[in-house]
Formats: sequence, structure tokens, C-alpha cells
Amino acid sequence: MSQQVEQVSKWIYGGLWGVMTGWFRVPAQPPALPSSASESIESFKPAIGFLKYMKFQFWVWLFLIDLTILIVELIIFANEPGVGLALLVPAVFVAIAPDIVVYLAMHLRYDTTWYVLSDRSLRIRRGIWIIHETTITFENIQNVTVRQGPLQRWFGIADVSIETAGGGGQQQQGQGNPWQSSHCGLIEGVADANRIRDLIMSRLGESQSAGLGDEDEASRSKSWSTEQVATLREIRDLIAAT
Amino acid sequence: MTTATEDHARMTFDATSIQRPDTSLARYYGLVSLLSGPFFPIAFLPFYFKYITLRYKFDESGVSMSWGILFRREIQLTYRRIQDIHLTRNIVQRWMGLATVAIQTASGSAGPEMSIEGVLQANELRDYLYRQMRGARGETEATSDDSTQSESSDEPLALLREIRDLLKDNSSSEGRPS
Repeated sequence: MSQQVEQVSKWIYGGLWGVMTGWFRVPAQPPALPSSASESIESFKPAIGFLKYMKFQFWVWLFLIDLTILIVELIIFANEPGVGLALLVPAVFVAIAPDIVVYLAMHLRYDTTWYVLSDRSLRIRRGIWIIHETTITFENIQNVTVRQGPLQRWFGIADVSIETAGGGGQQQQGQGNPWQSSHCGLIEGVADANRIRDLIMSRLGESQSAGLGDEDEASRSKSWSTEQVATLREIRDLIAAT
Repeated sequence: MTTATEDHARMTFDATSIQRPDTSLARYYGLVSLLSGPFFPIAFLPFYFKYITLRYKFDESGVSMSWGILFRREIQLTYRRIQDIHLTRNIVQRWMGLATVAIQTASGSAGPEMSIEGVLQANELRDYLYRQMRGARGETEATSDDSTQSESSDEPLALLREIRDLLKDNSSSEGRPS
């Protein structure tokens, strides 16, 4: 029985996914990053724990909201049985319909979230109706924050937020929200947050610039070339000889 | 990761040829203003004027866009100062093949500094901008502009050689009479 339910739900979700990719033009492939052949490209999705984390929150909220609806309905029914009976159908609808939508949206959100890391940049795709793709080069990153709540720790996931220079009025300290500030890339719900952080921080360490639009060339030609040094030596010797 | 079709698209895509938004942007603006219902004319008019006057200019070092009839506005930025690029497509834009390419610099505003709309090859444009960004170019790709770089960095060397030759001349001319 449960297998059949699983089969049917899989089938329904597959159909929905087909509608999304076909009619609503949701890209099914992970985003690509332009890169040279020698570069390593890593594209991944949030960990499966992220889906479980979202579902756990979903069930908690479902229980609380539906319990409230049930209690209100019972109170009305006890006082005015006629009104309570009339409200029964809308109450059941309100209790069930949004849940299905939210449940499907959670799965779609999980399936449409992609993170791509290359040797010099990262790209994040997120969104169902409005698809948002963010590209940031490691050169421009200012700081990397890893956040993990108690629930997230239980599910073994964490959020990595990557911030670039620039302000955002609405943003509060330590609460990077990608919807409010766009100077931020959020890698949400990954199991190996520390590895990603270390990876990005090591790339950051290799960069010599301040990450604020200084030219690459400035750091590249900091020292004198061997030819220039040789000429300088010659000049010194010439002056010493006179 | 780069496939043959991607390479082909990159070859045929020329950002400097983009000057005007595509006509489908006008249709998109029309659809968006239809959402306001009875206020359609009021909502559409600013969109219409923006579309009519919108101009893009991509050159080697930066991009500028300008629009407006009564209140003119022109934004210029250099590729090297780009902090991050956002490509956003809502469902209507996806249907019409449009996208918004938002470019951010390190300025204080939370919103993007420039939103490029109405470019059909938005993915190619985004990747073009990405390749001009700081830190996006690899060592292998950097060799192409290294040749020009070494020419300009040759200048101090040339100057040094000149000084050396002058010193040589001086010392030899001083050496002769003594």
C-alpha cells in the first residue's frame, strides 16, 4: 500500500516537474559556468537533510495551524451547530489545500536549487517562479559566514553565506537574507559547510587584492623583472666606475 | 564544461553590437502594465518612454545605459568594478525569452546599480560580463592580454636602458679627455 502511494506520488510529482520544465521553462540542468578545461567544476544541490529539515518545519506548522482550525471549528460547532456545519467544508479546505501546495513547493524548491563552484567563481541558482542566478568571483568576496541553528544541527546541515562589498540598508548584522540584499550569495542547507568555507577561504587567501576593484595587473607586476634588475645593476656599476 | 554549442554561441555573440533592447521588451512592459488593470495607460506610459529611449553601449572597458525623456538618466560602470552579476527571469520573461541582468558594484545601495533588460542572449551577455570581471580569467586566458601588458611594462625597462646608455656615453666621453 505504502509502495503504491509512493509510486503515485512520484508519478504526480514527475508530471508536475514536466509541466514546470515544459510550460514554465524551468531549466532542468544545473547552471554552467564558463571555464577553461583545466579547471575543476563542482555542481551540487543542498543535502537531503535540507529537505527533511523543511519537511519537519512543515509538519510542525501543519500541526499547529490545523489544531487551531479544529479548536475554532469545535467552539463554533458547540455554540451554533448550524453555522459550524456550514463552515465545515471551508474549514477542511483551508486545513488541507495550502498544505499540498506548500509540500509540493518544498520539493520544487529543493529540486530547483543548484550551487556551482569553479576554481575562480561560484554560481547559485534559486527560485521557482522567479529564477535567480547569482555569479560571484572569489576575488570579490569579502567574508564568508557559516550559520547553523539547533534544528539544522539535528539534520546535519548549515548555511554558508558569501558576502561581497557593498551595503544594503535592510540587512541586519549577521542575518544575511538573499532576498533583501543582493550583495550576498547564500549556499543553503549543505552538509559539508566547513569544507566549502575552507575551500572559499583558501581561494581568498591566494588573492592579493583587497577585493574592491583593484586591477589584477597591479598585483601581477609588483616586482621588477629580471631584465630590469640586470639593467639597474649595469647602471650602478657604471656610476661606481666613474 | 563548455560544450560545442556554447562555444558557438560565444563566437557569434558580440556584446558591443547591443545598442537597443529587443522589441519583445515592449511587449513585456505591456503585459506588466496590464496587471494594473484600469490604470494601464498610466502604468504603461513610463515603461513605453523607457523602452523608446533606452540605449546600451558596451565597449572594451565598461558599459553604459541611458534612458528617459523628461528626466534623463545615464549609468556608466567599468567591468573591473563589478562585484556580482544577477540573472533573474520571472515566468513571463521565461516565456518571452527575456531576462534581467543586474550588475552590482561595491556601492552602498542594496539594489543593483544597473539592470540590463531586453537582451535576448542574456546567458551569453552574463558570461561575457563574467569574463570581464576581476578574478574570472584564468592564466591560460590571460595570456592574450599579457602581450599588450608586457609591451606597456617594457616602458620602465626602455627608460632604464636609455639611462644606462646615457651614462655609458657620459662616462666614455669623460674618460676620453682625461
